[in-house]
Amino acid sequence: MTSLPVVSGVDSPGTADGPRLNAGLPRHVTSHMSGGRDLWSDPMVEAPDDPEAAVWDCLQEVLDPEIPISLVELGLVYGVSFDEGEATIRLTFTATACPCMEFIREDITDRLEQESWVRGVRIEEVWDPPWTTDRISDEGRRKLRELGVGA
Amino acid sequence: MSDHLDVSALDADQRAALHRFLVSLADSKRILGIRYSDWLLGAPSIETGIATSSMAQDEWGHARLLYSMLKELDVDPVEVEHDRGDEDYASVDPLDEPFGDWAAVIAGMVVVDGALATLLESFSRGRFEPATMRVPKMLDEEAFHWSLASAWFRRLATSSSASARGKLSDATRAMLPPVLAWLGAEDEADDRLVELGVLEPAADRVRAFRDRVRDILAQGGIDVDEAEPSDGWDAARRRGPGHPGHEATERARGDRNRMLFVE
Repeated sequence: MTSLPVVSGVDSPGTADGPRLNAGLPRHVTSHMSGGRDLWSDPMVEAPDDPEAAVWDCLQEVLDPEIPISLVELGLVYGVSFDEGEATIRLTFTATACPCMEFIREDITDRLEQESWVRGVRIEEVWDPPWTTDRISDEGRRKLRELGVGA
Repeated sequence: MSDHLDVSALDADQRAALHRFLVSLADSKRILGIRYSDWLLGAPSIETGIATSSMAQDEWGHARLLYSMLKELDVDPVEVEHDRGDEDYASVDPLDEPFGDWAAVIAGMVVVDGALATLLESFSRGRFEPATMRVPKMLDEEAFHWSLASAWFRRLATSSSASARGKLSDATRAMLPPVLAWLGAEDEADDRLVELGVLEPAADRVRAFRDRVRDILAQGGIDVDEAEPSDGWDAARRRGPGHPGHEATERARGDRNRMLFVE
């Protein structure tokens, strides 16, 4: 079982009356099959020489749940770092109330944690600069055009 | 920018002022989202209902980001969002009751949502770093709200139906005084935020709001420059007396889902 992505504010210790958050739910559920999971590569056999680049490669395989291009091509990944086995992803969303936030966090975490050299995944939610369609890569635009979507 | 506010250096009064302001904004967004959501299936057209539903979604996204800024003050936003009584809510007064008709919804989009956007613009230009980082995205989304609001206001204001025009005018005129009081709060706590460079002076905020809505409201025969702020001010919550109805706060808190509490 994978761990819950690190999202500030979620892991409340509860109150004197007992735990409140997630009280009736399993700790973590992979709740969907979006993100093109069937297209993910098999885990790498050996740890990569350049883990940051390898993290980017993994994220390239994670698709937006609503638009079948990758999060990287959509321009949602603002940065990646890797330190002592922990991958930190600076991630934004297309909208402040994006209904797929949790799906996207799960997909990123699950894709990365299938790699033996990744011991943890930290997702930092960022909003600066604000995402606009200008951040879609040329390759992303080409794929969207093939799908009949203008951007 | 290196001129960001050092939150750790604030004294107790300054922290309380920032806390009060954040809750005032976040609660207003949360309750406005609820008021919009009531119209998903009640708007004059399906398309408009869906648009209003999307605006409700945006408002809750904004509320979430604003509540999360409380962490800068070492305050648990989950407690604030889910563990307060009705009388603790600090949303702006016109949201205390549901919008009574579509004209009131449109008046709310222009006056209340417009005032919120004005205040957020001021906040984003200040020294509180989380606001400078997160509010611009909210304002991008608010631009779509304003397009719908201004188009519908014009449509109702120029309607051949005297009843529609009258309802729009009545709702707008009722909302303006408490919103002006809310925008231009000149009390000690907001003064502290102005001194800290977190907010622009009250007079500037009110002027920006009047400039924003002047031409739109004029189409409905309303002169925003004649409107005066209402009396009565609850300094503890940064709003007038009263509070949103229980039917709204129980949804805001998620009372019926507490056994399955997830953020």
